[in-house]
Amino acid sequence: MLFGLAYQNLWRNRRRTLLTMSAMVVSVSLLILALGIFSGMFKDMLASATEQYYGHLVMAKPDYHQRRDLYATLPDTILTLPTLQNPEILGRAPRLRSFGLVSWGQTSQPVELLGIQPLAEATVTSLHDQIVKGRFLEETDKNCLIIGWGLAEKLNVRPGDAVVFVTQAADGSIGNDLLTITGIFRTGDRRHDNNLVLAPLTWLQNLLVLPGRIHEVSMRIHNPMTASVLASRINAELNTEATILDWGELLPEMREVISAYDVSRMIVVIILYLATGLGILNTFFMSVMERTREFGILLAQGMRPWLIRQLVLLEAMILAIMSLIIGMFLGGLMTFYMDQVGIDLSKYITPVTYAGGTILPRLHAVFDLGNFLTPAIVLLMVSLAASYLPANRAAKLNPVVAIREE
Amino acid sequence: MHINPLFFIPKPVLFLIFFSVLSVCKIVKDEAWALDLKALVRDVEQQYMGESSVSQTHMQVSTKNWQRNLEMQAWSLGRDFFLIRIIEPAKERDIATLKRNREVWNYLPKVDRIIKVPPSMMGGSWMGSHITNDDLVKANHIDEDYTLRLIEETELHFLIECLPKTDAAVVWGKIIYKVRKQPKVPELIAYFDESMQKVREIYFDDVQTIGERTIPLKLTVLPLDKPGEKTILFYREINYDVSLDEHFFTLRSLKQR
Amino acid sequence: MGQISFMSLIELHNITKIYRVGSQKVVALKNLSLVFERGDFAVLAGPSGSGKTTALNMIGGLDRPTSGQVLVNDLDLGKANLKRLADFRLHNIGFIFQSYNLIPVLTAAENAEFTLMLQKTPRHQRRERVLSLFADLGISGLEDRLPKDLSGGQQQRVAIARAIAANPRVILADEPTANLDSNTAEDLLSLMRQLNNSHGTTFVFSSHDDKVIRRAKRIIRLEDGLMVSDNSQNL
Ligand SMILES: Nc1ncnc2c1ncn2[C@@H]1O[C@H](COP(=O)(O)OP(=O)(O)O)[C@@H](O)[C@H]1O
Ligand SMILES: [Mg+2]
Repeated sequence: MLFGLAYQNLWRNRRRTLLTMSAMVVSVSLLILALGIFSGMFKDMLASATEQYYGHLVMAKPDYHQRRDLYATLPDTILTLPTLQNPEILGRAPRLRSFGLVSWGQTSQPVELLGIQPLAEATVTSLHDQIVKGRFLEETDKNCLIIGWGLAEKLNVRPGDAVVFVTQAADGSIGNDLLTITGIFRTGDRRHDNNLVLAPLTWLQNLLVLPGRIHEVSMRIHNPMTASVLASRINAELNTEATILDWGELLPEMREVISAYDVSRMIVVIILYLATGLGILNTFFMSVMERTREFGILLAQGMRPWLIRQLVLLEAMILAIMSLIIGMFLGGLMTFYMDQVGIDLSKYITPVTYAGGTILPRLHAVFDLGNFLTPAIVLLMVSLAASYLPANRAAKLNPVVAIREE
Repeated sequence: MHINPLFFIPKPVLFLIFFSVLSVCKIVKDEAWALDLKALVRDVEQQYMGESSVSQTHMQVSTKNWQRNLEMQAWSLGRDFFLIRIIEPAKERDIATLKRNREVWNYLPKVDRIIKVPPSMMGGSWMGSHITNDDLVKANHIDEDYTLRLIEETELHFLIECLPKTDAAVVWGKIIYKVRKQPKVPELIAYFDESMQKVREIYFDDVQTIGERTIPLKLTVLPLDKPGEKTILFYREINYDVSLDEHFFTLRSLKQR
Repeated sequence: MGQISFMSLIELHNITKIYRVGSQKVVALKNLSLVFERGDFAVLAGPSGSGKTTALNMIGGLDRPTSGQVLVNDLDLGKANLKRLADFRLHNIGFIFQSYNLIPVLTAAENAEFTLMLQKTPRHQRRERVLSLFADLGISGLEDRLPKDLSGGQQQRVAIARAIAANPRVILADEPTANLDSNTAEDLLSLMRQLNNSHGTTFVFSSHDDKVIRRAKRIIRLEDGLMVSDNSQNL
């Protein structure tokens, strides 16, 4: 009956309640949408950093990540290590890395060249999905390469052109060869689009005079968020000269982005809810003032002050929960739309690379339970906090004065 | 991550560098020493650089991973032109480098292509040696970028300090030259980074008289940040003031075997 | 417990109530001493401003005296905290107000059973009680109406049902007939007398209407906060 009373009380001023409720619905649904887009951006960033280049885990000699020492190689047989057959690991790609010049006509550009096994690489990174011209490398390709979009622009090359790659081989000699471009990829990450080329691993091993050697094994895992745990678990089992780094270690800035993301999520929540909270406070103060006499009657009838307070808080909770149900539904709907369709902004802005990841020029949301729970829990807390003062005022009324009030 | 592409810089370059730096003295502001430094530089430069030269050089590069020996032939005209071609080892025979003014080109016989070294790659090493492309190209401009000062004069040596001018975009924080007085030959060049840490030294020795000139035939580059590594250049043969003109230093002659 | 006579239900000892209005003091009650027994049917009579409402509020524990002692059912109201007072009212006092004061969003039945709900009486018992009360009060069939759909007399009956639903020892009614026409007022007083007779419920009410005052078994007259007479009469 207290619940019924609280619910009924809400509708005594239908217009005001609906107004407050719509403010709550709007803030909840917008928040869910905004957080979904936040998460989408973050996911894009993480994906660009890991799925476009690093992978989630990278096994290499210690320090290789910092120094990129040509001689810090591992035998390619390391791929078959039993510890790397962990079912959490979805793909393993061996890589040999070389820095050199790609030249076409009068133009030369410094590049990072990754020697890869096309099929294995496709199980770890998504470059094969980002070919904008031509095709990805195939297992049978020999003197072939795929090249970043920006680099192709600078060199003015297209698939079919044969470019020269020059570098210093492991024996100090000048390694150089002609490579035919099979495809051009575009990731949106300028560093990769402007600097990265991929060629067959065996070809690079020959050029660098490093037969059977690789620099790293890049891996894709089931849940990227568990990368550090998995990395330390495998490292403990690993009995070789190599160690595994997770993406958080490869991209410490990205890890900071995650915590910064949590903070900014809270800031957005607080800002949006501050206004909502003030609205709730106002509504409930007015509603309590209007019912002063009634609270006096209830007190006279022997209702404990605490129960009066509860009644008002309950009213706020009911309002919040009703708003949440609608708001979460609307927010979910908008998130779903932004997930499925999204908004393409590439006409207006270019990709932004930050902390090793790329924010793509699109508004795109992803579903994340936290993005629903946070707004929900915080709205309930805001409603409680905002209605506490009015509730307290109702509970502390002097019944005699309250009843005399006309 | 260090990028280590090929930077093809000919060995006579080193001498060139040396001359160029000394030539800075010509514009040195310190009145008291200006005349002496200028004369000194002219003298040394005169010794090394004829208007042109043809030489055959041996280069030995030692790193902690490998050691290799190259035999090369080089042509130079003034400070702005030269051409160098590998004779040995066979695998790299006919790989050639051309410098024209501030541009550096390489010829790769295996793919039959000429490649221009992009400006962004000028800091890289040439042929895996401890010499960079900048050593060659920037050398000509050191007199514009650095202020020279004679900091010591002994019975046997001059010691010259070069500090970059405030607005100069240069690689080094300081360069110190040691020049022997009799005969007038370079002895040591020390390079310091921005934090005044000595990072590279070049020694000159095996001083010989070739015709009318007295020059050190051997030059050793020691990168101090890579202990144990070095590049040694040795002139087997050098002829000055041969008849060469600018037309010799073209992309076409780069490709010619 | 028990230092006071067993029969007396309400005892007011030397009650003085002074309200402060700004810098002024308003003496609402002056040295009022009164004892009510179980089964009393007493009226506080007097003109407006004589202190009737104040006296009722003292008895109901809604307000505290400036000095003096109020004992109801052996509880010293001056010493009880707010929660205690609320519970005291819930279990001992039923209020009937001049302007009915039903909760507008609750139906007649819900209004009537409100105190029972606060006492945590099970739902079906509440329903039964309300149905029989409404029958007794002649408002059967109005259980599910909202107050706005009831006449003044009907609302006051629902208010009475609310006041007596939990079988309080005392019912305090502040000018219960003031807003009713004389016929309805007559009916209401008969009803109160009837409850007084049949259940022995103690009634203390206030009025300045002689027709109403005449119907009380005991008439206590107040003037300017002072008791001027206290007479019992047989009806
Ligand atoms: N809360 C109050 N504050 C100030 N004065 C009050 C208050 N309640 C009553 N009074 C004053 O006390 C006196 C008695 O009032 P009240 O008990 O309401 O009289 P009655 O009910 O007989 O009309 C009046 O003069 C009234 O103005
Ligand atoms: Mg009154």
